[in-house]
Amino acid sequence: MMLSRAILIAAIVALILPLLYMFGTALTPETSIFEHALIPIPPNPTLENFSIAAKTMNYPNMLLVSIIYAGGVTLGQLLIAVLAAYAFGCRRFRGDSWLFAALLATIPIPFVVTYVPNYLLMAKTHLLNTYAGLILPQVASAYGIFLLRQHFRAFPSSILEAAGIDGASSWRILWRIVVPANLPVIFALGVYIFVNTWNQFIWPMIAMSDPSMHTLTVGVQDLVAGEGGNHWGALMAGATLATLPTLIVFLFARKQILNTLMEGAVKG
Amino acid sequence: MKSFSLLYVIPAIVVIGLFLVVPLARDIEISFFDWNLISPDRKYVGLGNYVAILGDPAFLATLVQSALYVALALAGNVALPLLLATLTLRAGRREADAYQTLIFLPTVIPVSVGALLFLWLYLPYGGPFSRVLALFHIASPNWFTDPHWALPAVSSVAIWKFFGFNYLILLAGLKAIPSSYLEAAEIDGAAGWLRFQRIILPLVMPTLLFTFVTTILQALDHAFVPIQMLTVGGPSGASSNLFYAIYQDAFQNFQAGSASALAVVYLALFGGFAIWQFRMLERNTLYDA
Repeated sequence: MMLSRAILIAAIVALILPLLYMFGTALTPETSIFEHALIPIPPNPTLENFSIAAKTMNYPNMLLVSIIYAGGVTLGQLLIAVLAAYAFGCRRFRGDSWLFAALLATIPIPFVVTYVPNYLLMAKTHLLNTYAGLILPQVASAYGIFLLRQHFRAFPSSILEAAGIDGASSWRILWRIVVPANLPVIFALGVYIFVNTWNQFIWPMIAMSDPSMHTLTVGVQDLVAGEGGNHWGALMAGATLATLPTLIVFLFARKQILNTLMEGAVKG
Repeated sequence: MKSFSLLYVIPAIVVIGLFLVVPLARDIEISFFDWNLISPDRKYVGLGNYVAILGDPAFLATLVQSALYVALALAGNVALPLLLATLTLRAGRREADAYQTLIFLPTVIPVSVGALLFLWLYLPYGGPFSRVLALFHIASPNWFTDPHWALPAVSSVAIWKFFGFNYLILLAGLKAIPSSYLEAAEIDGAAGWLRFQRIILPLVMPTLLFTFVTTILQALDHAFVPIQMLTVGGPSGASSNLFYAIYQDAFQNFQAGSASALAVVYLALFGGFAIWQFRMLERNTLYDA
């Protein structure tokens, strides 16, 4: 028990220490960055680095782009997932298992084979450097359908049938009964999609070449000055600013995210 | 009434078809052309792009490096998380909760931020890691510009960032093992390695295989941003992989045909694992649930 605890704590130190260094260096005055390189907590903290980083990156603008991007993709993925999962989980129709398998088969399609054609499509339709072009291709994911279907299926069919007999339309049953009953799972899935989208880099980088349309994760690059010449305090402050939103979301919704991911893993 | 059900699926079919399935077909089509992404005319070259790729010695190096990225990811993001998840299983509830949160934490950090973070941590002169090495009188190499260290250094960033996800999935698989099995093993005197090998490992095998396959499929993708931000594939291609080579071909050399052919090669090499992953998803959802 002692040994296993020691191994776990050593691993956690290795995983968390980089983050402590990020916060610590962000708070260190530029002049003493190298003096305190080994101690993550500076003796004379300052917020100066944050204001430099926020100015260099045009933080408010990037924050807005990131929020619209992650929010748009999250809403889009949730919408198509809720609708499709309802059809697959609560209703039966001809060819449903075949169609579900076909959608499931798109989950392993790697991003690498889709982004060049998607870029060309967006260029052709003049959607590069627009929110539509940024968001739409990322809405295409069957993962949410797969996860929600598991939960919708478990919903007692007698309740759905009773509502149907009472004359409720299938549309009403979905939004008045199925969705409210599965709100915690939909919420957790939404947070998971939001954090993942927020953290994406490749697609926002190529779809939004205009610097005023950079997301935070792409924009942190602006702080890199090149080999050796970096303003490390401001760089780490920028890194912290880009991380803070997802970190806060995660810490608030921690239990739901972890539980939903673990449940999804055991069931499928 | 029944026919309405299909309507609910149509948005998903349209979006997934348009942005996932059609691009897949387009990729194969473009791979037969010599094309610079922009110009209105493109030249049909048949298998020319494929022949050029297979004859390029840099392609072989990229393949070997891709295999290295996969191997390092399997060690760091499957074997190590399995060990930690097994150890977590023995901890008390609140203790295990704390482990989960802390181990998962780097997973929510943007990978570009993680890359910047390690640019500082691995700074050869004056960075925190070089200071630690100096305590043991070891001179820090230039991690990202040394041809031997660039790939493992980049890989370590990806492993750090994506560690928590597999740990969580494996822990879920381990927790699903009925505790009576583990207790019975304890009574029979099976402990430590024997208990792990004979009881835990076979029972967690489906979850382990799932993380194994997804890690193989994602290893090159996960290394992309660290490569882009820390080494740009260098020095002289030493830290590149197939995924990054596709990006460079398309967006730096403007060779859409060659990039698409590389993507098709990627698909041929990894398609088997993708089908395996699909089979596992299908088995779990269609028959078990």
